Amino acid sequence: MTAVRMRGVVKRYGDFTALDDVNLELRENTVHGLLGRNGAGKTTIMQILTGQGFETAGEVEVFGLHPYENPAVLDRVCFIREAQKYPDAFRVRDALSAAGMLYPNWDADFATSLVEEFHLRTRQPIKKLSRGQLSAVGVIIGLASRAPLTFFDEPYLGLDAVARQLFYDRLLADYAVHPRTIVLSTHLIDEVSDLIEHVVVIDKGRILMDEDADVLRGRAVTVTGPAAAVKAFAAGHTELHREELGGFLRVTLEGADPDTRLRSEGLEFEPVSLQQLVVRTTQLATEPRRENHDGREVAAR
Amino acid sequence: MTAALGPAPSALDTPGRRRRPLAVARMQLVNLPIQLGMPWLILAIAFAVNLVIFALVPDPPAGEPKVTGGLLSIYLFVVVAHLVTMTQVFPFALGLSVTRRDFFTGTALFIVAQSAVQGLLLTLLLALEQATGGWGMGLHFFGVPSLVQQNWVLQWLVYTVPFLLFSFASILAGTILKRFGQLGMWIASVGLLLLGGIAAVLITWQQAWPTVGRFFAETPAALLFAGYPAMLAAFAAGVAYLFLRRATV
Repeated sequence: MTAVRMRGVVKRYGDFTALDDVNLELRENTVHGLLGRNGAGKTTIMQILTGQGFETAGEVEVFGLHPYENPAVLDRVCFIREAQKYPDAFRVRDALSAAGMLYPNWDADFATSLVEEFHLRTRQPIKKLSRGQLSAVGVIIGLASRAPLTFFDEPYLGLDAVARQLFYDRLLADYAVHPRTIVLSTHLIDEVSDLIEHVVVIDKGRILMDEDADVLRGRAVTVTGPAAAVKAFAAGHTELHREELGGFLRVTLEGADPDTRLRSEGLEFEPVSLQQLVVRTTQLATEPRRENHDGREVAAR
Repeated sequence: MTAALGPAPSALDTPGRRRRPLAVARMQLVNLPIQLGMPWLILAIAFAVNLVIFALVPDPPAGEPKVTGGLLSIYLFVVVAHLVTMTQVFPFALGLSVTRRDFFTGTALFIVAQSAVQGLLLTLLLALEQATGGWGMGLHFFGVPSLVQQNWVLQWLVYTVPFLLFSFASILAGTILKRFGQLGMWIASVGLLLLGGIAAVLITWQQAWPTVGRFFAETPAALLFAGYPAMLAAFAAGVAYLFLRRATV
């Protein structure tokens, strides 16, 4: 089943094209990672999918219906954004009780235990919270709402490493018991790479990568060794990145299988992390290309 | 604990969905100490100050009532309160998957209730003022002469409807800010000033000021303070809703 479908979606703000012909399908009951640089269009996509923003052109479907002003869709959608605003007079408990009234699947006990785990107090005025505590309130609402489609848009701002790990742990545990569609927009790709089942990379309003994480994990490999041997191995593969130091070469290749027999020729193989793969792919797509001395196309840097 | 997930179309028409506007109204209740407490506190202080002043100053010549405009403060307070509704509660509600329509319905519900209750309180205080002979000193604090009605229902309306007008005008202003930004606010403000200026010029040119004066003097207070403001409030609410439909946070 498909939870989200976007076809030919375009979003323009005046002259600026924020989304350019976006085609996207998100499988139900899957954890999706929506990755990309600042200003790539991640938040714009989530705003449109939650009826908070409007597409300029294209088709948008969430659970088969258009989300705009549609309670049948929005009842099942929770969107936690980094910049979520709370009224000045609200205490933590007011925000949680409002969420409890609005989300049909709200689990108050779960929310209470999360409040304790994140070291919040329900009587605290939200205005007085630190940046990290404010993020924790959003994380708690996002988890306890158990919405069939939950968006987390960089929910970790100001959260320390322990609190972030707590978020990932609780998300994974609760997801296992209550499967749902989760979209995680983040820059801390390494931290969530074990969590993400499907990866969507967006850059300058275009979808750059749309693959299952398992496929991506084996997709690229970094080879280091004497320049000649590395070049021989790299031939015929797409080069994502190249660093040269003296007679040594280090290249990141797509679609190459590590060949351990080549160790004798001084070649070292390393797996490429999801974060590295995303970074290199984005660089390759955006930076000006030049021909290198082999006559093959590589990224400029 | 709710374990049921996934599509459940039948569950979508449960009271849960009809509860959404009420949930928005409940969000407003969190602000209640500020929304209701502050203005009434300030009104109480204004009242106390008036009592002291009128007790100290010599009585005006016979036939001139002791009148004060202290009542206006409580009406101006709803303007501030509902700007907060648009700048703070609206982004919060939209962020929690509330539709603009449900937000507007809930807010309108709250405004009507808030106006009705405050109008009722003022009506009761007027009754008290009249029963005590103007707090023992002939003071007209709540019973501003042009507002006083013979019929208590009309009296309640005369107190209540201006709350509605001020509230929805404030909601409209906040919606313009959300939908069209600061520039929109400027254009709306300048446009309103221009309209007023043009009207003043036209009236002067047509030498129609006496007619305007007669209109305000001769229109029954119930129409002037309840009838026409009700129409204006409904107009402001309607335009606000139209703008809100495409507003973002």
